[in-house]
Amino acid sequence: MATLKELKTKINSVKNTQKTTRAMKLVSTAKLKRAEEALLLSRQYAKKIEEVTNEISLKLSSIKESINIRAFSNIKQVKKVDLIVVTADKGLCGGFNHQTIKTTLKKIEELKSQNIKIRLVVVGKKAIEYFRFVGIEMYEAIEGLTSAPNYEKAAELIEKSYNDFVNEEIDNIIIIYNGYVNKLVQKIHVKELLPIEVKKQNETNEFLEVEPTDDYETVLESLVKKYIEYIMYYTLLDSLAGEHSARMQAMDAATNNAKEMVHQLTLQFNKARQEAVTRELIEIVTAIEAMKKK
Amino acid sequence: MKLSIVTPFGKIYEGEIKEATFPGVEGEFGVLDGHSPLITNLQPGVITIKKENGKEEVIAVNWGYVEVTPDHINVLADGAVPVSGSTESEIAKAIEKAKQLIKDASDSDALVATVASKIESAARNI
Repeated sequence: MATLKELKTKINSVKNTQKTTRAMKLVSTAKLKRAEEALLLSRQYAKKIEEVTNEISLKLSSIKESINIRAFSNIKQVKKVDLIVVTADKGLCGGFNHQTIKTTLKKIEELKSQNIKIRLVVVGKKAIEYFRFVGIEMYEAIEGLTSAPNYEKAAELIEKSYNDFVNEEIDNIIIIYNGYVNKLVQKIHVKELLPIEVKKQNETNEFLEVEPTDDYETVLESLVKKYIEYIMYYTLLDSLAGEHSARMQAMDAATNNAKEMVHQLTLQFNKARQEAVTRELIEIVTAIEAMKKK
Repeated sequence: MKLSIVTPFGKIYEGEIKEATFPGVEGEFGVLDGHSPLITNLQPGVITIKKENGKEEVIAVNWGYVEVTPDHINVLADGAVPVSGSTESEIAKAIEKAKQLIKDASDSDALVATVASKIESAARNI
């Protein structure tokens, strides 16, 4: 049985932890609001650019018989891919980071079983720490970008992969991250970016004109690049919002658990105190009874 | 037809329109209902929109893509500033912002001046 003093210190320490977790929850709530706003604003653009690129890929065959843009071509044999993993820089957000890592490991296994080589690009301290710990080789490791998404840096990051794709060094770019659905739900996304699938169209009267006509490749290529860059940026925003919502939830749960624990400990403390009081009384009464006999 | 203009910082315009003029890289072009499918780059300039009720609206863009299909137009701009507002000072502010956007995007003085005059004349019609 723990002594009264021990219990008291324990209760105090749990209460202090509760204060911290509550504060962290409030901070996350505020940050989530900002992240959510940024996400919603950029979602429009992300949706539109996806719509436009898909529409182009649908109508592509009408522009010219053979298209010399690798992003729209059919790649038959995939030999090497870039795997971009995005996690948070900070922990204390429940299973948020671990889910992403677990999915990544699964994907790595899957690709390995198909004899596909992988270049692992890791964004976010938590995943970097993990892969370093288990000794999986990383092609690139980037810290500090997930907590402050920035379009230029995101573009720079994916540009290398995209250039390698154009130069036929890699055959696909896969992004894995944990995204925001709503305040309570996050969802793992595994996105295969390239090539943008050329769907066979049924209607033959669909056509598309690209201006300037003699330079349509530049227009399309720059659009694809923009599309890829924007997806990367959007991924970072989505991941950040997801991180904050996950942390908010985790800290809420922690605060509740701490509350429950304080309750239990207080009960124990009261029991122990009552016991001490009873014991003292018994001692006094026994002493009196003993003296009476004389 | 439906027009939507989006930038990385949100939606700028969405709605039914009758007619629109875009600053394409190969020159300005107008789009009416039933236009043949087209995709092209935009250069710094103004998009003029004529709404169903005959009202005109002007939006300055710095750079982007426009995709035209017979029933809708998608504009993916890097930056866009609508020249509108409910009070004088708001409109003045919007004009300033629109001019700055074009100035930052273009190094040709002639182009900046042309666009600026277009913005101003459009603002008079608000």
